[in-house]
Amino acid sequence: MKPPAKMSKPTSLFVIFFSLFVMSEAVFEDQVGKFDWRQQYVGKTLFAHFDSHSQSSKKLFLATDKNIFASFNSRTGELFWRHVDKAGPEGTIDILLLHGQDALMVVGGGRLLRSWDTNMGGLNWEAVLDTGSFQAACFVAMQDTVKHVAVLKKAAISLHYLTNGHQKWVENLPDSDTVQYQAVYSGGEEEVYVLGVVPNSHLTIIAYSLEDGEIIKQRSVEAPWLSSVESSCVVVGHGVLMCVDTATLALYALPIQAEEAPQFNQILLQVTPVQPRLEVSPGFQPVLVSSQPHPARSPISEFFLQLGPDHHVLLQLNADGYTIAPLRDFQPAFLVSFSTTGEKTVAAVMTPKNETSDVFPPQLYVHAFLKKDDSVGYRVLVQTQDHALTFIQQPGRVVWTREEALADVVTMEMVDLPLTGTQAELEGEFGKKADGLFPMVLKRLSSQVILLQAWLAHLWKLFYEARKPHGQVKNEVTIETLSRDEFNLQKMMVMVTASGKLFGIDSKSGSILWKHYLENVQPNAVFKLIVQRTTAHFPHPPQCTLLIKDKDTGLASLHVFNPIFGRKSHIAPPALPRPILQSLLLPVIDQDYAKVLLLVDDQYKVTAFPSTKNVLQQLQEMASSIFFYLIRSDQGNLSGFRLRKDLSTERIWEVVLPTEVQKIVAVNGKRPNEHVHSQGRVMGDRSVLYKYLNPNLLAVVTESTDAHPERAFVGVFLVDGVTGRIIHEAVQRKARGPVHFVHSENWVVYEYWNTKSRRNEFSVLELFEGTELYNSTVFSSLDRPHLPQVLQQTYIFPSPITTMEATLTEKGITSRHLLVGLPSGAILSLPKMFLDPRRPEVVTEHSREENLIPYAPEMPIRTEWFINYNQTVARVKGIYTAPSGLESTCLVVAYGLDIYQTRVYPSKQFDVLKDDYDYVLISSVLFALFFATMISKRLAQVKLLNRAWR
Amino acid sequence: MATPGGQGGGALSTRGGARRMKWALELTLGNARGRGDRQSNQGDVMYPIGYSDKPVPDTSIQESDKNLVEKRCWDVALGPLKQIPMNLFIMYMSGNTISIFPIMMVCMMAWRPIQALMSMSATFKLLENSNQQWLQGLVYSVGNLLGSALAIYKCQSMGLLPTHSSDWLAFIEPPVRMEIMGGGMVL
Repeated sequence: MKPPAKMSKPTSLFVIFFSLFVMSEAVFEDQVGKFDWRQQYVGKTLFAHFDSHSQSSKKLFLATDKNIFASFNSRTGELFWRHVDKAGPEGTIDILLLHGQDALMVVGGGRLLRSWDTNMGGLNWEAVLDTGSFQAACFVAMQDTVKHVAVLKKAAISLHYLTNGHQKWVENLPDSDTVQYQAVYSGGEEEVYVLGVVPNSHLTIIAYSLEDGEIIKQRSVEAPWLSSVESSCVVVGHGVLMCVDTATLALYALPIQAEEAPQFNQILLQVTPVQPRLEVSPGFQPVLVSSQPHPARSPISEFFLQLGPDHHVLLQLNADGYTIAPLRDFQPAFLVSFSTTGEKTVAAVMTPKNETSDVFPPQLYVHAFLKKDDSVGYRVLVQTQDHALTFIQQPGRVVWTREEALADVVTMEMVDLPLTGTQAELEGEFGKKADGLFPMVLKRLSSQVILLQAWLAHLWKLFYEARKPHGQVKNEVTIETLSRDEFNLQKMMVMVTASGKLFGIDSKSGSILWKHYLENVQPNAVFKLIVQRTTAHFPHPPQCTLLIKDKDTGLASLHVFNPIFGRKSHIAPPALPRPILQSLLLPVIDQDYAKVLLLVDDQYKVTAFPSTKNVLQQLQEMASSIFFYLIRSDQGNLSGFRLRKDLSTERIWEVVLPTEVQKIVAVNGKRPNEHVHSQGRVMGDRSVLYKYLNPNLLAVVTESTDAHPERAFVGVFLVDGVTGRIIHEAVQRKARGPVHFVHSENWVVYEYWNTKSRRNEFSVLELFEGTELYNSTVFSSLDRPHLPQVLQQTYIFPSPITTMEATLTEKGITSRHLLVGLPSGAILSLPKMFLDPRRPEVVTEHSREENLIPYAPEMPIRTEWFINYNQTVARVKGIYTAPSGLESTCLVVAYGLDIYQTRVYPSKQFDVLKDDYDYVLISSVLFALFFATMISKRLAQVKLLNRAWR
Repeated sequence: MATPGGQGGGALSTRGGARRMKWALELTLGNARGRGDRQSNQGDVMYPIGYSDKPVPDTSIQESDKNLVEKRCWDVALGPLKQIPMNLFIMYMSGNTISIFPIMMVCMMAWRPIQALMSMSATFKLLENSNQQWLQGLVYSVGNLLGSALAIYKCQSMGLLPTHSSDWLAFIEPPVRMEIMGGGMVL
């Protein structure tokens, strides 16, 4: 006889399988790119080269600060290929050299030497270099052919073959503890010159033989004015080292190859016969710019001397090697560059056209390039301070622009688009006060007429466009045509980047609709973006506020703008003389429907913005119910404050977590726009387990300072932000961060590294109030005598993760999914159902009734859960979710190096007809049935009549 | 008495037959006017003379008839009660799963007693002749009430009745927040 338990197992398995089958969702092939888009970025350019291998080449090679080596199509600005190396110093690109079809790169502070094939982007070879910090590298030519590359490290120089990367020789540099070797030069002769300097004492020149690395010559030159070869010296003409002395403003020339005891020739800037006299801008260090077109030949004898931020002089070294002839004075000129093709060399000079252009002073790069044989053409790649890459062609035409600032998005918000004029008209009708029956009727009729007109215009447009060939019909999205769609699926993505540039991106197409560059933003500034007024209050424009805090001074500033058009608002932000610690957005609105933002300064005084009389009065009334908390990670201190009527504060609680043991790494409250539809969970016996929905609950995550695998731990504290009461604490022993976590509804999901089992684990905490609600009408943290019941379960996850977020929908009816960004670039939509601490170990009737999946320690990763199929998002840093007008649909933006936007349907599209819904079939069946009914009715009548006659 | 009549009749007939017949017997139907149209509808049946097709009310009251009426009335009154075992059987057979057939059965089971209770006055008219009219009416309604109770029990066991707190979960409004809180790590 079979035991009944065995009987139930296959059925339960079947149930699970079935539920999995139902849940699985994936994109169909024809839906690719329909609701989603991806944009790939590379970051701020460090090195750029044009492919000069063939005349018709349209390739462009870039190495960026994000450790990326990329190739662009120079006609369109599209990415051909891209190699994303490790983030951080391990993958930094020290130098990029291009010769023919080989691109040479020194990576990771002189750790690796790589050669790439520029055609296909494949790796030719990779060589591991000896330890030592990287200083310089150059190609070395022998009898007019470039065969080697020389790499200068702090204490050694090595020569490698270009073909296979093998080391030809490596030599230690003499006196490397005193001499700073900074440059390596090869002019096509049999020697390689290494230039080193003992600051403010002398210059050392060592010549190595190409064949065996033997030192041929070693000389030292008195140079008490010289502090750095790298910043103040260039090689000009036939091996003449040209240095500029910043103190005396003199140029010094020295032939590197000179046999006899060499001496610097001083050429004083003031005495050069240049008209007008050259003068260095105060506080500016003069810079020299020269060019060596081919490694087998000497550099050209013309060079630029930069005398100020916008002042350059083109000079020429005369054939005697000692005198300088000035060629031309460029002022104003921001950037200069040389480019050579064949025998011709052009000097590119960038000058500002009008005064306003100094808003965007180009910061880094100008690369000029010659394309035709006889006439000199050029293409220029300009990198500006806001990390935009602009490609300019001959007549000064901008071919394309890439906004590389978007490679480093810091924070973002999604804002509803405004209603169209007609929609707004209709809305306005209901908003205004009633002024009599008759005018209301008239108003209604007129708005109906407007609607009819709009509809007819739409029909006409449809008809008109239907006659055009399909490809020509393009729905260009511009700021003027922006309007909310039927289901509010199209929104404005406001993105804040680390460079201080703000972008407004249309979420449907991904096109950048506006951009605004904030000047004077420090590179390490902290941003907080706040939506103060949405588009819902029609005559008032929407309003966003960006809080920018300078990390060094602690001072903050506010940038108030319209998120739809990107324009700076005329509303003057308050002056913030004191460092700002935190901000707090209140649900209190002023008479213009803007939510009130409170800014807390370092004396715990509060500034309100906007601070009209109305707002201050409201604040006074509500002061006793406004609380805020501050967490100082460095002191391990959590403290809560209450607002007083005079906008000062009083500390009401404090929790100290000793910093010697653990440090607070993150804190998260709940999202203010989150709705929870169901206040409890239905049990198998049809009773209710009520959720503990404390809106003031904070999840505080700590990590132990002790990193030893046996003693490391991760702590999760659930703290009430109003009273400071610790609701629950969970400590995960033998665990290490980085901890990624999501706090929503009544649950916290966190992920950590288990040092004992060496695997990633997910843990979920769920809080329940029990089967009775304490108070079902109001929630006050001050009146909650009972602690919630806490359930916890842990699962093994087969992959590390980089970020995590939960889906969000309009009313919170749809089931929740977790969106998990994986290091592989995939984004996983993990049903919350799998992370449920009530998953039973033994299946019972009740648990089956509840649709609980039996507990299994391993969390699966199903490939159909990847919402971005093959559109991987490199180095995903954050995921932003926003509700749409459809309950089933949640908008998702993943950002990192790339930006990916899509929609997810955690409970499938229960409120929309399917994409491939067969309207034709259904309507034809309906019509057929309708006519069949009519005909059969008629027939039946005839038959009845006939029968009556009989 | 019969003979002179007969003679007389015969004389009449012979008189009529000679010149003008004293009386005639028509054997075809066409001229039988006096009987009216009703006869023609009932086919070619020849009724004997003196036949009337109107029922003659039986004015005599018999004891057994009274019993019959009583019995019939009790049948009507006990009808719903008799259905209960059948319903129980159906209930048992249909099980507690929520699918279209059990639901239809439950609906039928619930609807029929309600319908019967709504048309109570018509039933009372039926029971008018019974002298136990009130008792029968009571039994009838109790039977129907039992039937609907059974249907409700079935609904209950199928879980269709909103008797649990979970059934009212969707109507619980989210509680109003008393405090406003915000903040975070020091920027």
